[in-house]
Parts: sequence; C-alpha cells; structure tokens
Amino acid sequence: MSSPQRRPYVVFGFASTHDALSGEAALVAAGLQLTVMPTPKSLGALCGIALRLAEADVSLAEETLARAGVAWSGQVRILDR
Amino acid sequence: MAESGAPATVYFDHAATSWPKPDAVLDAMRAAILDAGGNPGRGAHRLAVAASRTILEARGSVARLLCVPEPRDLVFTAGCTEGLNLAIKGLLRPGDRVVVSSMEHNAVARPLNMLAAAGVIVDVVRADRYGRIDADVVERVVAQSQTRAVICQHASNVTGSIQPVGDLADIAHAAGALLMVDGAQAAGHMRVDIGALGADVYASSGHKGLLGPQGVGVLYLSPEIEPDELKQGGSGGNSEDPMQPRLRPDRYEAGTSNTPGIAGLGAAARYLAHNGAGIIKLERELTARMYEGLLGIDGLRVLGPPPGEERAPVLSVVHERIECDRIAFELDRNYGIAVRAGLHCAPWAHESVGTLESGALRFGIGYGLTAEDVDFALAAMRAICG
Repeated sequence: MSSPQRRPYVVFGFASTHDALSGEAALVAAGLQLTVMPTPKSLGALCGIALRLAEADVSLAEETLARAGVAWSGQVRILDR
Repeated sequence: MAESGAPATVYFDHAATSWPKPDAVLDAMRAAILDAGGNPGRGAHRLAVAASRTILEARGSVARLLCVPEPRDLVFTAGCTEGLNLAIKGLLRPGDRVVVSSMEHNAVARPLNMLAAAGVIVDVVRADRYGRIDADVVERVVAQSQTRAVICQHASNVTGSIQPVGDLADIAHAAGALLMVDGAQAAGHMRVDIGALGADVYASSGHKGLLGPQGVGVLYLSPEIEPDELKQGGSGGNSEDPMQPRLRPDRYEAGTSNTPGIAGLGAAARYLAHNGAGIIKLERELTARMYEGLLGIDGLRVLGPPPGEERAPVLSVVHERIECDRIAFELDRNYGIAVRAGLHCAPWAHESVGTLESGALRFGIGYGLTAEDVDFALAAMRAICG
C-alpha cells in the first residue's frame, strides 16, 4: 500500500494559549482552513498549541493575524499528510 | 435535609451570592465538564483545546460585558478577594502610602492591615453617616502626602452606597497614584464600563450580580501596571523558563483553571448582555419598593443613602429593640426568607455608620425576586417587628 503524499504546511507558534486560540478564531473567521496541533519542538519554548496552515495561505494568514492584533512567535515549514 | 413543613425559600441574600442562577450557567458548566474536560492550555488534544476555547470565549464575554478593551487584561481569579489580594500585595511596597475608604470589606481591610504591619502607610477616609465617600475629602487627603494608590469600593455591601469612583480615578491619576476598585457589589447590579471608568484595578466576584457560580471572579489590570503575581506555577507553555512568564493572562493564572466555573461565568455574562438592563431596572424598582416599606415599620432604621438617591440593591436595617440575628432566624425559620445578619465581613463599614456593636440585617435584592416577594418580606418584617 502506498503512503499518502506529503504536502507542505506552515505551522504558526504562539507565546500563549490565549494568542493561539485568538489567532485560530481570527483565521477561521477569515475563511482559512487550519488544524490545531501540538507545537513542534523546533519552534522552541512556546505554548503547547500551534496552528497548521497550507503553505499557500501563509501570507493571508499573517495579514489576518496582524489585523486581529494577534502576535505569532514562530513559524516552521513541515511536510505532512 | 430540610425540616418537614419548611416554607419555600425566598432568597434575599444576593449581596452574599446570587441564587438561583440562570439555566444557561448550569448548562455551560455541565458542557464544560462533559465536552471540554481536558486541562486548558495543557496539551493540544481535543478536550484540552475545547477547555482552552471555553476559557477564551468566557474571557471575551466578560470583557465585553464590563467594557474591558483588551480581554487579556482581564484575569480569572478564585473570587474578588483573591483579585484584590493580588493587586494590593502585588503593587504596594513598604513605605508606599495608600488612601482607602472606611467602607471597605475585609477583602481590602485585612490585606492592608497585614501590609501596614510591614510598613505600608494606610490612611483611611471616613464615610458620611449614609456610608458615602466624599471625593473632595479624598482629594484633600491624597494631597497631604505622596500617594501610591487610592482604594475604594464601587458600592457598599452594607449600605448600598455608590461611591464616586470615576471622580476618584481623576483624583488619583492627577496625584500620580493608582485607583483600585472593589466592584463586588456593583458588577451586574449596575452598568460597569471599566474602560470609561479609568480604574487601574477593578476586581469583582463572579457569583454575585454577575450570576456566575461561586469560586470564580475577575480582575482587570490596566496594561500600564505590572503587579507581582500572587502565585507562580504551570502556565501551559514556556515550560523551560524558570520564572513565571510575563504574558497576560498566563502570568496571573498559574495552575489549572476552574474551567467549569469560568464556563458558567462566561454564560452568565452572555445572559446579562441580553437581559442585564431589564434585571437592573427591576432590581431598582424592587429596592425602592422595599425601602419604602421598611421605612414604614416602627423601630427600624434603614442604613445607607436617603430615599430617592441612587444605590446598589442592598438594604440593611437595625431594629431599636430586636437583635438582627433574631429577626434573621425568624425570617428563615417561619417564612423561608434568607437574609444575612451581622457585620457582613465589613467591620470598617459598620463602624462608619454606627452599627459595629449591633450589626445589621441585610436584604440583598437580585435576580429572580419579584414585587410579591418584596411584599411578602415586608409583611413578615411587620409581623416580627410589630
């Protein structure tokens, strides 16, 4: 059985759960699709919740978070199913 | 277990805690336990995230109700007492001077008494015989010496007096001082706009006029101040940092939050957003009706502002012959009427209005009471005091 193809994503990390979930609310309201996931260790010492978005949506996500006044603290590109 | 034949409860102790609660509060608490039972901020699995979302939503709901511009400046506490302790102990240092009203609850008086022993200078401004604080007097006292903070309640839990906290904010700030407000008897019983008020600290319980459950409160901290936290511990993130993170609200919410309680308070805030104006109007009408009726009972002295003056829905009385605890006992036992007798954790306030020896019998009016309940309580009082 062949494994599903991996696709590029960007994971946004946040300093606090409040920021992460405020960011989630803003991004969902903007129509972006995202997945809540544990913060990858490569993002360093942040809160435990991160948001994974399709790489193609990163610019729009950054603009949306900035408009909502939500600061993200790190990004990492991953390949995921 | 209730005694056989005990009368149904007619609840006049809203100044202690509101009862009953709106169904939405119970529903939200049940949902938090059943559907959001993870540990908020700890882990990214669905139940933990659901708990975190519950708290985020509740914080936003309470912030909107109290007109707090930035929800992260609103900290969930175990109650108003914890919030006041956090602010008072987190901001005052030995040598600092505090100007405080004589109407304060022990939630303010006791922390200040403790700090006074450690070198904080506490100057008390006496209220008038109605339990009202005069802003001009506060201004004169503040001007006497460098002042770090003015501390005053928004409304009295003994007399119902509403204090001029907006004026006190201006006075404090003009002197380079902070204003800390105990809003336990105000939030939910009157429109509270923290953003417009200008207070640097505003603490409230969640279980009184805000109609939430016991064990949860809120504390607003202006973004310009950085009080030390009352406790340090897990915050769900930045675990490698040996010190408490400085981010709000995490800094002040170490340890696992009371998610069911916060969920209930959030639901209560949303309920009040839709129904609060009507509740406030009814409380005012019932308070006026009760006040008028109490004035007509021989031997009773009603504490607080004179009729016609705005007040919180608190009416305390003293009888010239019958001790207040005796009346409270008869009201409960024979009529099912719940009131509170004694000093109401506020000996300073009772001393201010001359009832430190006698205590008082307090009717706290709130959600769920009707004009018929007020008339029933007045009839009972006439029968007991007649």
